[in-house]
Order: sequence, then C-alpha cells, then structure tokens
Amino acid sequence: MFGLTTIASPQGFFIGALCGLVPLGAGLYYRQWRAGVGGFLACLLSGFACGFLGGLPTILMSYAVVLSYAYVNRQDPFTSRAALEEVNFEETRVEQLQRQLANLGRGIRTSWRALTRNRAGFLGFLGIMFFVVVTVFGPLFIEYEGAARLDRRQPGARSLIAPPSYEHPLGLDWKGRDVLSHMVHGGQRLILTSIQAGLIATVIAVVLGSLAALLGGVVDSLISNAANFILTIPSFPLLLVLASLVNLDSDFLLALLFGVLNWPTLMRAVRAQVFSLRERDYVEAAVALDLGVWHIISREVFPNMISYIAVNLIFTIRVAMYSIVGLVFLGLVPLSEPDWGVMIFTGRQQGVLFQPQAAGMLLAPIVAIALFQLSLVLFTRSLEEVFNPRLRSGL
Amino acid sequence: MTTPLVELRGVYRTFVKDRQTIPVLQDVNLSVQPNEILCLVGESGCGKTTTGKIIVGLLEASAGEVLIQGKPRSAYRRAEQAQLRRDYQIVHQDPFASLNPAHTIEQILSFPLLRHKLVKSRAELRRRIWELLTMVDLTPPGDIVNKYPHQLSGGQRQRVSIARTLTVQPRLIVADEAVSMVDVSIRIGILKMLHRLRDEFGMAIVFITHDLALAKYFAWRGRIGVMYLGRVVELGPTPHVIGQPAHPYTRALLQAVPEADPDVTRRKQPMRLRSDDIPRLTAIPPGCAFHPRCPFYVGRVCDVHVPHLDVAEGFAQQVACIPVQQGQLRPYIDEQAGG
Repeated sequence: MFGLTTIASPQGFFIGALCGLVPLGAGLYYRQWRAGVGGFLACLLSGFACGFLGGLPTILMSYAVVLSYAYVNRQDPFTSRAALEEVNFEETRVEQLQRQLANLGRGIRTSWRALTRNRAGFLGFLGIMFFVVVTVFGPLFIEYEGAARLDRRQPGARSLIAPPSYEHPLGLDWKGRDVLSHMVHGGQRLILTSIQAGLIATVIAVVLGSLAALLGGVVDSLISNAANFILTIPSFPLLLVLASLVNLDSDFLLALLFGVLNWPTLMRAVRAQVFSLRERDYVEAAVALDLGVWHIISREVFPNMISYIAVNLIFTIRVAMYSIVGLVFLGLVPLSEPDWGVMIFTGRQQGVLFQPQAAGMLLAPIVAIALFQLSLVLFTRSLEEVFNPRLRSGL
Repeated sequence: MTTPLVELRGVYRTFVKDRQTIPVLQDVNLSVQPNEILCLVGESGCGKTTTGKIIVGLLEASAGEVLIQGKPRSAYRRAEQAQLRRDYQIVHQDPFASLNPAHTIEQILSFPLLRHKLVKSRAELRRRIWELLTMVDLTPPGDIVNKYPHQLSGGQRQRVSIARTLTVQPRLIVADEAVSMVDVSIRIGILKMLHRLRDEFGMAIVFITHDLALAKYFAWRGRIGVMYLGRVVELGPTPHVIGQPAHPYTRALLQAVPEADPDVTRRKQPMRLRSDDIPRLTAIPPGCAFHPRCPFYVGRVCDVHVPHLDVAEGFAQQVACIPVQQGQLRPYIDEQAGG
C-alpha cells in the first residue's frame, strides 16, 4: 500500500495460472467442479494483477471455499447426532487444519452471499471492481502517452485538442495525447492515496476512541479536547495552508496529513460506541470469567463495531479523495502525471472550459471520480450486511 | 459451621446519578454457605441485582465489609484473586444481551476454557464443549455449536449462558432473574436443571427473583431473603418465611401471589396497604422504609427507629420489624402456603 502501485504483467498471468492449479486440483479431488473452476479463475485474476502478492492469499481463500463445499457432505464428529461415547474428537493436525479452513470458507461464502443480496450494494461493489480492473489491467492494453504529440496536429487547427474519435474515444488533450490513456494510467495513484488517507484516519480514530472510552478520566478528557480543538479548525483550509508550507513530495505524506486532520468525527462515534458496548451484559460476563482486558477489547467489543468502522472507513476514503483532488486542482501538491486530479488542473489552466471540443479532457476525470464515489457510497450498503451476523443469518 | 463463601457485613452501596446520591443498598447483612440455595426476593429497584453483583465481585461495596471465604478480597494475593473471581459467576437476566452476537456458541464456550488453560488439546476442548452443552440439556450439541446466539430461543440462550459459567467450575452462581425473560412453559425445566447442577457440582446458588412463587419452588430447601428499598427485611429458611411470614411486607407479597387455581385466588383476601406508592430511592422514608404503606404501623416507633434484622419471638427467621420483634404482631399462618 505504501507507494505501492500494481500494474498487471504478462508474467503475472502465468503466476496466477500457477496459483489457480491448487483450488482446481482440490476441486477435482473433492468433485466440486464449480468451486474449483471459480477458485482457478479468482487466482488467475489476482495473480495476474498482483503477482504472488495477490495470488497466495487467493489460493488460501479459494482452497478454503472448495473445502467448505466438500465438508458439507463429510461427517464432522461435532455435528453428528451420536452419543458422547461414540464420538471421536481426536483429529490429526491436517484434519484440524482442513476443518478450520472449511470454516473460513463457509465464512467467505456467507459474506459473498450477504454482499450480493443487497442490489444497490452489489452495484457499488461492481463499480469499485470496474475501476480496479481498469486501472490494474488497462495499462496492459493501452500504452501511456507522456510526451506531447505534435505530429497529431490537424492541418489548419489552432491547437492539438481534438474531440472524441474512433481511435481516441475520449479525444486528445492540449498536448495531443490520448485522454483515455491518461484515464487508465492516472486513477490508481489517486485511489491508493485516498485509501491510505482513509485508513490512517480510521486507525487513529479507532485507537484513540477506544482508549478514551475504556480508560476514561484524564485520558478521555485529553483526547476529547484534542478532538474538539481539531474539529473547530476548518480542515480543508488548514490542509491548504499546510500543503503549501510542507513539501508534499510523497503520496504517503499527503495521506498522513489528511489522516491527522480527519480523525475526530469518527473518534467521537467510536468512543460513544465503546461506551455503550462496554456496559453490555456479555462484557460483564467476560469480566466475571476473568477473560482479560485484551480479550474484551478485541473479541467482545471490537467485532460489534467492525461494520460501523468499515462503513466509516469507506466514507473517510470518499472524503479523502475529494480533498486530494481539491489540493491537486488548486496546484498545492507537486503535480505529476498521469493523474485524474492533474488532468482537471491542467485542463482548467489551458482554458479547456471554453472549448467544447475539449470536453472529454475535463469531463472524463470528473465523471470517473464521481462514479467511483457513488460506487463507494452504494457499497457501504452491502458492507453492513457482510459484517453483521444478524443480517447474515437466514442464509 | 463452615466458612461462608461470601459474607456481607453492613454493606452500603450508593450510585451517583445526575449529581444525586442514590442509596441502593443500606446495611445489608447476608451470608451464603457452600452448596446453599439463597433466594433474594423483592420488587424491582429494591437492590437485589446490586447485591448479586457485589456477591460476584462485579461491584464494590461503598461501605461495609465483603468477606470472601472469611477474608476481604484485598487480603488475597493477585493469583488467588483471579481464582476467586472465577469461583463466583453470574447468569444475567436478559439472555438476548448476555451472549455476544458476534460469536458462535462454540466460540463463546471456548474462550474461558482456552484462556484459563482448562483443556489441554483441541480434541479435549471440543469434548468439553460437547459435555457442557449436554449438561445443560442442549442436545444434540452438534445442532447448537455452530449457531449464533440470535439463532437460538431465549431458553436455549439462557442454557448456553449457564453452560458458560460452568466452564470455570464456579463455587457460587448468582442467577439474576435467570428465568424471568424465558417463556413460562420452559421455566421449570431450567430451574430443575439448576437444581441438578447444584447437586452434581456442589455449588451454591443465589437466585434473584421478583416472583415469590418461583422463589418458594426453587429455594424450598434453602433460604429466602426478602428485600425492600435496599434493605433485607426478612431472612430465613424458605418454609418458615413462606408458611409463617413475619414482616408485614412479606405478608403483603404472599397474599398478592396469584395461584394457578382461580378459586383459591378468589378466596384470598389481599392485605390492605395504607398506600400503593413505592417511595423513590432518593426519598426513602425515615425509620422503617415500609411504614407509610404498612397496615400495622405503630406511630412514633416505626417512623423514628430503623429496624435491624433480628430473630423475633415465635419466629424461626430473622426479621427487621420493631412491632414483630416486640411481640406485638402475632404469627400469621397462611393456609394456602406451606404445602
């Protein structure tokens, strides 16, 4: 994530195919054709996109899913109706591992079903996947045009800008470069930086919020007052000022800056949640059973906040993206192409606003950003269902 | 006499709410013997649950002494304190709130077993969970283990909650209104199970309820403590408290219990109280807290002096009522009770 960008490579294709052999083989062995082939395709795609980095977790997950199908028919001693004396609880390490993997697979399957059940949410998921696929696999097929293409000047034309045509579906920009190539190559950095920024803000908020609620007293008032202080400062103007003072030459620094300024709202919500959750009877039961503070935070309180945190993470990513684009648009961060934000910035600078034939150059990044944002918002609908065991039930 | 598992000596407990100090418990004296059944009865807000939580150690007393097996908690070393905490468990009233919705039943039961290393292997863990679920009559366990709490009925959840306390093999369980939110038809099943578990494992049970009929059934071989506005007003063996109630409040409660037989209920003459209003905890009447409602109220005695739990002549139980202690109130025999 830190400065990491991925571009699919032909080698990745083979890596993915290689990874996919595991679930495929397992599918053949357990006679679970559909799960095996599905696992193969998933491994192929993720290996293609990220090499072994994406391939290995996908192997594990798809293998788990195949096992979960296989385990439906297999007799688990625990779920049998036999009497205690007849049940053999002993199992080898391999069997134990397989059973745990099958449980993981069952979890993945129910999550997937929860994801697809809400139509709006699933649409959002598809939208996000669309942008991921385009920005990861697109560069394989569309070459990036960085240098000016003076050779594309039409005889008698006053600029290089051209409206959409068959060869260039989104037209040419002010340097005569293909807008589509910039769209395909310029999204990944913005999306990754926004995710980083959202993650940083969320982690700070969750840690500080839990600490404030659980420790109380001085810590609580210290954190709450810090939050109130930051909340009173208009964060975007401050970001502007800081961005112009600090040389934001790395994306991570930009994300960090956003994160440090945007945790208070979520922190307050997390604090309130922990306050309410720690009064629950099951937390009291855990105290009586002497399960320990760490257990209470990580296993009793946190799982009940996770859907809330995940939804807020998505919203923070959304806000981060707008902020970053805003900074780029105002030219306060070093501009490096290709980037959706930079496209809007240069477009405005080159007076594209007044040239109808250049609409593609300005509209394409704006529409892409808006659609991505819409996908995020819709996706949160499904996210709630994925993490809520109550909503997951009945499946 | 054996050392009591817990002894409360003159325990007070106050809560601060909206800058107002609310005395929830006042001068509570109680003890619980090993393997004993003690039933705390009283209307809501009388301090039953607070007493239960102080017994378990989830709440501290504001004043007074809480002796755990003869010594205050602070007199034990750290490791002993951890063990003591495990020896005293609580079953909550609301089975919908007492199990974490995020975990399966198997996980809920495995947490304490793993944390305190009560099982040595994965296989033993699963065997133990199977045994525990069988103990609380959740059979076959295979149908239950992989379910989430919301997929179980209230009664099943309460059984899981009891099984969870059994994981650490406690010496005392506080059952805080454990069956009041469970369907009436399965209450007896759970109560019988608690009796059986007590006989099997030799633990003490503090049963908290507002239902005198349940208390009578559950604690027939044990004791009953009747609470009113933060004080224990009557304490003694169940057959005596039920069959020969001493305190006017207990008498009123007993006469208000509806019987399953409508003819019996119709024949009952409910005691006329002087007032039906229960005083608020922020404005507890001086003297005996029950005196504004008590039909046997004696002027300049009941509204001035605070009665303390003591044995009264003609009664086998302790009672906190000055007229009764002075022999001004004759024993009252309820012909319906005592059976």
